[in-house]
Amino acid sequence: MALLEIRNLHVSVEGTEVLKGVDLTLDAGKVHAIMGPNGGGKSTLAKVLVGDEAYEITEGEVLYNGEDILELPPEERARMGIFLGFQYPVEIPGVSNTYFLKAAVNAIRKHHGQDEMDAMDFLQLVKERAKRVKLDESLLQRPVNDGFSGGEKKRNEIFHMSVLEPKLCILDETDSGLDIDALRIVSDGVNAMRSEERGFLVITHYQRLLDYIVPDVVHVFVDGRIVKTGDKELAKQLEVEGYAAFEAAAA
Amino acid sequence: MEAVAQKTSAYFDEFGSRQQAGGQWCADLQRQGIEAFERQGFPGPREEAWRKTNLKPVTDTHFRLAEGQGAAPQGLVARLNEVGDCYRLTFVDGRFVADLSDLAGLPNGLTVTPFSEYKAQAPDRLVAALGSRASVDSHPFVALNTAFFVDGAYVHVARSARIEKPVAITHIITADANGQAVYPRLVVEAEEDAEVRIIERFIGDNETTTLVCPVSELSAAAASILDYSRLQQDGSNTINIGTVNLASQRNTSLRGAFVADGAKLARLDLIADLEGEGGEIDCNGIYLTDERQFSDFHTWFNHRVPNCYSRQRFKGILQGRSETVFDGLVKVFEGAQKTDAVQENRNLVLGKRAFAHSNPRLEIFADDVKCTHGSTVGELDEEALFYLRTRGISVESATGMLTLAFAGEIVDMFRVPAVRDHVRDVLMHRLGVADINVGAIL
Repeated sequence: MALLEIRNLHVSVEGTEVLKGVDLTLDAGKVHAIMGPNGGGKSTLAKVLVGDEAYEITEGEVLYNGEDILELPPEERARMGIFLGFQYPVEIPGVSNTYFLKAAVNAIRKHHGQDEMDAMDFLQLVKERAKRVKLDESLLQRPVNDGFSGGEKKRNEIFHMSVLEPKLCILDETDSGLDIDALRIVSDGVNAMRSEERGFLVITHYQRLLDYIVPDVVHVFVDGRIVKTGDKELAKQLEVEGYAAFEAAAA
Repeated sequence: MEAVAQKTSAYFDEFGSRQQAGGQWCADLQRQGIEAFERQGFPGPREEAWRKTNLKPVTDTHFRLAEGQGAAPQGLVARLNEVGDCYRLTFVDGRFVADLSDLAGLPNGLTVTPFSEYKAQAPDRLVAALGSRASVDSHPFVALNTAFFVDGAYVHVARSARIEKPVAITHIITADANGQAVYPRLVVEAEEDAEVRIIERFIGDNETTTLVCPVSELSAAAASILDYSRLQQDGSNTINIGTVNLASQRNTSLRGAFVADGAKLARLDLIADLEGEGGEIDCNGIYLTDERQFSDFHTWFNHRVPNCYSRQRFKGILQGRSETVFDGLVKVFEGAQKTDAVQENRNLVLGKRAFAHSNPRLEIFADDVKCTHGSTVGELDEEALFYLRTRGISVESATGMLTLAFAGEIVDMFRVPAVRDHVRDVLMHRLGVADINVGAIL
């Protein structure tokens, strides 16, 4: 059974169709990249997968471990192991990063019938994972993303992911705005989590992230649907040729 | 046609028909009080400052002075400990109760006395201070309080005395006061270079409809530090209409922490007078309303001299069908140059049918000043809510977290740790997130 199976997914926003029949099957242990021009619906797909209620699903199915998740609220999906690293992480003044993560970890543990995590164990876990993404320890006590630089916000997303240990990791343009050092740190954080039981859906506009996070499958996403699927060589081809040919074909 | 005799108010008649409420030492003042009330009457709905406050529950009934003193139930007595270790003065239905008070080991320089201890005579400085800030002509409810207060609390801090342990003055309303009026009175004087923390608190029975009408006058002499926490946590059927006067002198630091959580109808008129250069009055407040509660803060900050600093930061959290008013004035008098005044009022409307009024006012008669004000009425940030949910946190917890964070900015500024902790607890209960461990959030 696939970790994630998207079948003929159609999605509208305020009456305009944004996703026009997406099909995608992602097995555990694999990294899929979704590449495409801006405005093509890549971020919509990411948001729909985690349950953003701003979008209306008009047709299709999304199966996670064989279970249709489209009727489930965002928190249920998160507890089942679906994670989205936001393109624009939200600033939450007044809620400390650590507190927030503790609430999240415990909500997930409760869902799986586990006890709350011991405070000391939790702190240790958090510190160790922060180190992994070279997140300054002072940011742990600061309010979530509040006053973080662009790079810090993206690293914070990967840090959250490494603490929550989801099964399906969706990364939406995690590379945008990152310099080469930060890109390497973020990629190392992701690569450290690659495993047989975990799948990644990496959304990006540029090929360069894929030099660090090497994908098993590359999809070209244009105008609300996947127009071509290939291996990592496809990403390199796109880097050279651009999306123009696909956009013309879609139009 | 019959000639109509001049009609007097029920309160005037009550005053005339009973023994004077307070001690002999304040008889003249109390008479002035009732006369001033008779001249003014209750504010009408067309008076600008009272336009949004529905006084009908007050004016439709005659609330006679609570004559008895109910026995405070254990549940309320236990709450005296909620604000930590304090010198404690407790009043039940307006009268001092020695058994619930604790004035043991008052340090040198600190005087804490119930008015009722004075019979024919009171200390000159109390007589001089009482009513000097809250004048009977300034406000009809001040006049009413002045006419009818039975008891009160007098706190005096001598020159250079530094009092660390807070002084807590608690008013408990019992079921015995149902349908009656209670008139708490507080006078605080901090002398030059003194330091003191005052907590004034109102709690009571939830089923009881009582008119609580407190008047508090706090004055801080040069270079003193006065911290005042006012926790209005009355029972849910109570009416609390009060005034607080704060006055600062040269280089004074006066801080106020205001919480309005209880009562079905609550209004506070907060008058802050900056009278000495270098003085500072910093007030932070939070109001929490639910169901059909009404809560009103009217502030009047008067910068009368140059080089003073004032802050007003008030936040409201509205649930249910509640309604709130924040109406705040910063007035900079002629010549009060280099005034630095900030006023902020932010409201978070959680109840679909709740309504927040926010009305900042600036009156500036000097040209070299820094005065800003901000006012917002909004709902929870949907994006933040979604973000939290995508990490596994339930809607309820996420809402509680964001609301606590909103309130936390104010609560963090409360200077007395026990008050801060208590208000956090109140918030968590109010928001239904007491069971999740949010200790570290604020």
